[in-house]
This record gives sequence, structure tokens and C-alpha cells, in this order.
Amino acid sequence: MITGNLKTSYGADEQVLDNRWKRLFLFSAVLGLGGIAGFGNDYIILIACQMGIMVIAVTGVNVVIGYTGLMSLGHAGFVAIGAYATVIFHNAAGGIIPDGVLTLVAIPFAVAVAALAGIVVGLPSLRVKGLYLAVATLSANFIILFLIEESFSAPWTGGMNGINTPTPNLLGWALDTRREQFILIAALAVLALLGAQNLFRTRVGRAFIAIRDRDYSAEILGISLYRTKLTSFAISAAYCGLAGALFAYFYARILPEQFELQLSLMLVAAIIVGGMGRMMGPVFGVIIIVMVPEAIKVSFGALAGGGAELAMIRAPLQEIAFGALIVGFLLFEPFGITQIMDRALRALNRWPFARG
Amino acid sequence: MGQLLQFTINGLMAGAIYALIAVGIVSVFKATRVVNFAHGYLIMFGAYFYFTFAVLVPQAAWAPDWLASWQPGWMMDMREGLPMFSPLAAVLDWLANVPRILLGLAGALLCNAALGLVIERTLMRPLMGQSVFAMIMLTVGLISILSGSAQLIWTSDAEFVPSLAPNTPIRFALFGQTIFLFGADLANMVIALLIFAGIVLMVRYTKSGIAIRATAEDQSTAYSMGISVPKVFSRAWVLASTTGAVAGAILATRNGISPALGLFGFSVLAIVLMGGLDSYLGVFLAAMIVGVLEALTQWQLGGEWAGIVPYVAVLVVILIRPHGLFGAKEIERI
Amino acid sequence: MLAVQDLYLSFGGIKALQGVSFAAQPGQITAIIGPNGAGKTSLFNAISGFYRPDNGKVIFDGQDITALRPDKRAELGIARTFQNIALFRGMSVLDNIKLGAHTRLKAGVFDALRYFGRAQAEELELRADIEQRVIEFLEIDHIRKAPVSALPYGLQKRVELGRALAMRPRLLMLDEPVAGMNREETEDMARFILDVQEEFGTTILLVEHDMHLVMDICTHVVVLNFGAQIASGPPETVRMDAAVIEAYLGAAA
Repeated sequence: MITGNLKTSYGADEQVLDNRWKRLFLFSAVLGLGGIAGFGNDYIILIACQMGIMVIAVTGVNVVIGYTGLMSLGHAGFVAIGAYATVIFHNAAGGIIPDGVLTLVAIPFAVAVAALAGIVVGLPSLRVKGLYLAVATLSANFIILFLIEESFSAPWTGGMNGINTPTPNLLGWALDTRREQFILIAALAVLALLGAQNLFRTRVGRAFIAIRDRDYSAEILGISLYRTKLTSFAISAAYCGLAGALFAYFYARILPEQFELQLSLMLVAAIIVGGMGRMMGPVFGVIIIVMVPEAIKVSFGALAGGGAELAMIRAPLQEIAFGALIVGFLLFEPFGITQIMDRALRALNRWPFARG
Repeated sequence: MGQLLQFTINGLMAGAIYALIAVGIVSVFKATRVVNFAHGYLIMFGAYFYFTFAVLVPQAAWAPDWLASWQPGWMMDMREGLPMFSPLAAVLDWLANVPRILLGLAGALLCNAALGLVIERTLMRPLMGQSVFAMIMLTVGLISILSGSAQLIWTSDAEFVPSLAPNTPIRFALFGQTIFLFGADLANMVIALLIFAGIVLMVRYTKSGIAIRATAEDQSTAYSMGISVPKVFSRAWVLASTTGAVAGAILATRNGISPALGLFGFSVLAIVLMGGLDSYLGVFLAAMIVGVLEALTQWQLGGEWAGIVPYVAVLVVILIRPHGLFGAKEIERI
Repeated sequence: MLAVQDLYLSFGGIKALQGVSFAAQPGQITAIIGPNGAGKTSLFNAISGFYRPDNGKVIFDGQDITALRPDKRAELGIARTFQNIALFRGMSVLDNIKLGAHTRLKAGVFDALRYFGRAQAEELELRADIEQRVIEFLEIDHIRKAPVSALPYGLQKRVELGRALAMRPRLLMLDEPVAGMNREETEDMARFILDVQEEFGTTILLVEHDMHLVMDICTHVVVLNFGAQIASGPPETVRMDAAVIEAYLGAAA
């Protein structure tokens, strides 16, 4: 239990992991990731990879929706851009750049392209607020997919049929198993989360929150709404671009239909479930949003051994589950799982003297 | 030239249906300040309800024969000796369908109204007074719920649904050009325009319309003036879901029924923002403009390009006129 | 320091400002008073850049800033508080105040993502500076970690003043700094305002209804009525002015 504020320097007071439960949580999380990489079976690795990729993308969505208060329903478009930029870069620069370096260049390239796209898509945010922006980003998602599918870009993107993706190679280390890829994904996901956490300890992130909470008040403090909103969009799109790049490496083939509105909704659902504007929100949210469909799949498998008819029911049930999660959390726990965790942590700190 | 005219007219007919869909989004926004992202999925339910009552129910074993196909004696007599594709034969075909069309429309209207009410009472009402952001997000969650539920409920492949009016080909000359239309399309346009006009008049002149407008201006003041704001909310949702039912029925006859119908809602959302959210006139014009642009794009560039016209249009309009063509710019009090 | 020249502003048919001109002297406290709806807050909004005047100029430090965006004006050293407290409700007191220093900080996106290094050095320096110049100064060290939404009204007003002070402004605009406060809180606030003027030499412009406060601490008073400027001068002169008395008490008085 915390008995007093015993900090002796401002530096100590500015720490993020300011109590031992948080430190314990972090250490066990890192240990857990190591454990998965070392001992997880194929199924666990598969699920963990999917979660890792999602966490990165949802962290990006969190920057724009949770922290800057700008609604976006088009972030799947940025994931698509990241994924396709990676593949196109590999195909175009394959002979020129040596294999071992290619991945190291392709990922930043994909991130940069996505960030640029984010700035373009974010432009309407300069003129309009919330809702208009949601529709503008939604439109952008449709347009991006259209551009990928259309016949003029088919030579590079494969059009509707999709395109095969390359194997990542880090300085000669070819990550050709999912276990190896998990190491890359987990490392980048942890870095991405740390980066976002840092962002909000400094002026850059504080300005985002200021705009969310009261935009005219932010302006009066010298925060340029234009620049800050575009920065937020660029960062958020960059995160999604990174997720897209990993997505492309992870799956053998990418198709435009994987990046449709459904994915955008999933990203939004994850952030609502996890807790908007909270650092661990994406992590908790993604765990739920990935596990619920898996649970439905597993329980269906147990019920009937997976007949074709049941498979027909499974997909819609999973869809309903997403929606129900969004609706349920908005109605009953609008601040998401992070809020529940906060309460638990408080109780833990006061134990055994008080509860709740 | 002849082609241009033809495609423009096709576009106007599509635009009228967009306007009919848009009216639901605008009405809910006016009353509740919530933009319903799931409106397209309400329409999809309308289409499926119409399919259920106009096709599935009449086909059922217990349904009377006249419901599936009404063939009174005088109609049989008139059919005698008619050539295959004569206009009269088309009208008679339609007449035979009238009972199930009416049943389908009635069923779709009632069921969709109930659906709208249930959504408003169970999901939107508890969030009343809280942030609009949460309410809008809730409609986003509704998208998945409605889309998944429709796939669970209507697993069978959708069949042909009877169109609302006789589908006779109509050929006439305009400015020396021959224009070719289908009767049903024309009727759909008339129905859509009539409903649109009716709602605009209702909101302008009737008591409940004025209640909606007062609530739009200022919820708490309206409440304190004795307007039952919750009632206004439910009315707006019922209005949206019933107009959506008609739109769904029309779309079902035009485009067939599939879960993809929900996507119409997004193009119309784009149109609504383009017109300016709370302006019926602006939204009507935007619907017509997008309808025509789409038809012309389809003519010049092909169907896939037509699909993104509303999205490109809304982005262009938002960048130039942030509050849409006719939207009111809110003066922010600081 | 700040000069407003012949300012006109209207919303549709409503004429909010009709030819207002005055100057705030460096290092002095200038008050703008007037009955409700006289256009005081509109004038503030025109000075801080939210409203674009139909006619007239706003000049700060010899520079015409009439066309500048609010954030650019803030960069020049204009800070303000709002009549209805405009704090960032989701943040702690400390973060609110740190935001005041936004324009003075330099960390870019890449510094921020790394944190350790430039951003951290800057943040720690800022923290020390704020602790001394703002938190200690305004006596709010006991609430620095509290979320602002949990604070009582008077303290919120003080935090908002703190946020403005963190900007190290050259012109501080206070919109009804003591509105809704009791005697004791008002006296505290008056003391803080005077301290700011003395210690930092800040030029202060305030809108206030509390005549005692205005008469006690201001050196210059501008009186508005229905958007028009009806008097201007030192407090002693203004309180005797016939037009001012009429505006406040009606023609009969």
C-alpha cells in the first residue's frame, strides 16, 4: 500500500511506472512475450502475432480518436497503404537493394507513405470537426481501396486478386517461420507502445489532448490547430502503416477485401473496449477483440466439429459480437477495460485497509 | 447528346432514391444531433422485411393463393389474346402482384418502425444527455450488429422481389432524342419525391414537426417548454426507419437484396454531409447532383468508378465549403 | 503595448462593437467594464483572434495583428483566461499548466517518441520552472496532481491564471477573474493579479463586474455600453462620468 509521496526529485515524480504494481505488470508482460516466443505452440503464436499487429494499428487509432478527439472510420485504409507499400517496395527495389537490407528500408518506407496519406486524409480536419471528419475518413477508406483494386494499379497491387508477399529478412536473418516473425512483431509492438507513451509525456502529445478537451483554449495557448491535427493524423497513420507492413510480411498474400470498412470498425471497437485515450487501452481492447471471435470459433468447433452450416453462422455471429462489444461498453463502461483495471489497481494499493 | 440526356435522367431517378434515404439521416440528426452511421443497415432490414412479406410469406403453405398471385376472372379474360410484351400485360402482371406488394410494404413499414423504436429505446435513450460522440459510436457498433443479424436471419438466397409499379418500358422523345425508361423506375422516383416532400412539409408545418425543429435548436429549452424530447427522439427514429423501409423496398427491386445494401448508407451519408446535414434543400440538391454525376461517370468510365463518386464529391465539397452546400455554420460562443 | 483602433464587429444584425479604441499601457492594469451585453467579451475575442473585426485594427507592440490566428497571437505573448473557465478537464493541474508553456518548448515528434534525451531534459527543466514560477507563486502545490474537474470553482480560476502565467505573457487578459467568488476568494485573486503585475511587470487587461476590484487595482478604465465606448480614463474620473452613471443606473438616476 502507498503510505505517502516519498519522491525526492521532479524526475522521479515524472516517471510513468510510479508504483510497483505497474512495474511488476511490465516485467511480467515482457516475460510473457518471451515465453510465447520460446514455448508457445503454433496456434498461440498465430493469435499472438495477430494481436501484436492489431495493437500497433489500434495504438495509432487511439492517437487520433482517443487523444486528439478526432473521429476516424478510415484507418483500415492506412493499414492497406502500409501493406501494399511494403510489397510494392520489395518488388520494385528487389534487385537493387540487397535482401538483408531491403526489409529495413521497406518498413520505414511503408510508414512514411502511410504518414503522408494520413496528412492528406487529415486535411478535412482543418475545416471540420468530429462527424464530418468521420465521413471524410470513411470516404478516404473507400477511395484508397478503389485505387488499389482498379485496373490501372493492378500491375503493382494485383488488383482484386491480391498479391503475394515477400519474406522479411533482417541483415541475412530470414524470418520464414511465424515464430521468428513473432519476435519482430512483439518487439515493434512494445516499441510502438513505448513511443506512444512517451509522446504524451511531452508537448507534442499534450497538445493533442488539449485539442480534444477544448480546442479554442488550446489555440489561446499558441497551439496551432492545423499543424497539431495534421501531426496527429500523420502519427496515427504511420502506426497503421507499420501494422500494415507487418501484416504484409505475416500473411502469404494480401487482398483488398482484408482492409475494408470491417477492419476500420474493428480498430474502433478495440479502442472503445480497451479504453479511449489510455495507453494500455489498445492492448486490452485487442485482446478482447481477437479473443471473442476465437472463443466463438472454438466453442463452435467443440459443438459440432465444424460443419459447413455452422461455419455459415459463425461469421455473422462474430460480426454481431464486435457490435455488441462496442455497444455494451459504451452503455456500461464507456472508459473501457482500462477503467476496470484502474479500479482493481487502486483496490490493490489500498489493500487490506480499504476496497474499491 | 441523346446519351447524355438519357444518363442524366437515369441519374435523377437514382438521386431521388438517395434523397429518400437521406431524409432519414437528416431527420434523426435534426432531432437528436446524432448522425446515424447505421442508417444503411436499417434500409437493408427494410429490404429484407419487404422480401419476407412480399415473397416468403405468400409462398408459405398456409398463405392463400390469391396472396401469391391474384387472378380474378376479369383479369384472366383481359389476358386472353394479349401479345407477350405488351404494356397491358405488364400492368396485369403487376396487378396480380398487388396484394403481396401491399403486404410487403405494410410488413416492412411496421417491422422497421418497430426496429427503429427498439434501437432508440434500448440503445440511444440510455445515452441521452451524454456526449454525442458516444451516441454516434453506438450507431457504429450497430452496423456490425445489424449486418450480422441480417445474415443470421435471412440465410436463404434472395429471390426476385415484385417491383412497386408496373415495369413497362416507356419510350418517348425529348428535345428530339428518344429516351427509354422503365415504368417502375419512374414510379419509384415519384414515390421517393412525394415522401421527401411530405416529410419536409410535415417538419415545417405540423405540431410534431415543430417539436422536432425546436428540439434541434435547443434540447433543454425545448424540454422546458413542455416538448417531450424523448418522444421527439422516438418519432425521429420511427420516421427514419419507415422511410428507410420504403427505400429498402425500392432498392430491393432495383438492385436485388444482399448485405451489401447497407453500404448504400455510407454513400448517402456522404451526400448528406455534402448537402449540409440539417438542410433538406441542400441534401436534396446534393442527392440529385450525386445521382447525375454517378450516372455520367458510369457512362464514361464504367461502373466501378461510379461507386466512389459520392466519396470524392463529399471530400471536394467539405474542403471548399466545410458545412456543406447549404449547411448552417455554427457560431461558437466562447 | 496593446492598442485597439476603431474596432467594429457585428453578427448579422447585432452590432457587438461600434468603434472601440483604447490603449493598454505597459505594466499597468487596464479594466474594461460595462453592463451585461455591452460587448466586453466580444472585444476580448477580437483581441485574442477568435472574431475577425469588420473594421478597425488591433495593434500589439507596434505590430498590426488584426489578421493573425489566435495561436500566432499567443506566440507573440498574449495570454488570456475565460469567463467560463476553459481548462482541459481531462488533465491534471500540472498538465494544464505545462500546456501554457507549449510555445516555448522545442521537442519535435521524433524527440517525443524517444523521450529520453532532449525531450526529457526539456520536460524536467519545465517542471522546475513551473513549480517555482507558477505553482508556488499561486499557492496551488497541494493540488498539482489533482484532475481539474475535481477542483472547486475558485481553485479552477486560479489554475487557469496559472496556465496563462506559464506562457510568460507580456499581455495578460483576464475575463471576469473574480466572477462568482466570495469576498475572501476575490481578495486572494486581487492579490495574485497585483503580484503578477509587480513581480513580472506584465501588462494586464481585465473585464470585471466587481467595481470594488476595478476601482482598487486598475489604473485605467474603459467603459462600454451596447458596443460603443462611452468613457475612458482613470477610475476616479470614470466613476463620476455622467454617461457611465446613466448606463449603469438608467437615465432617471
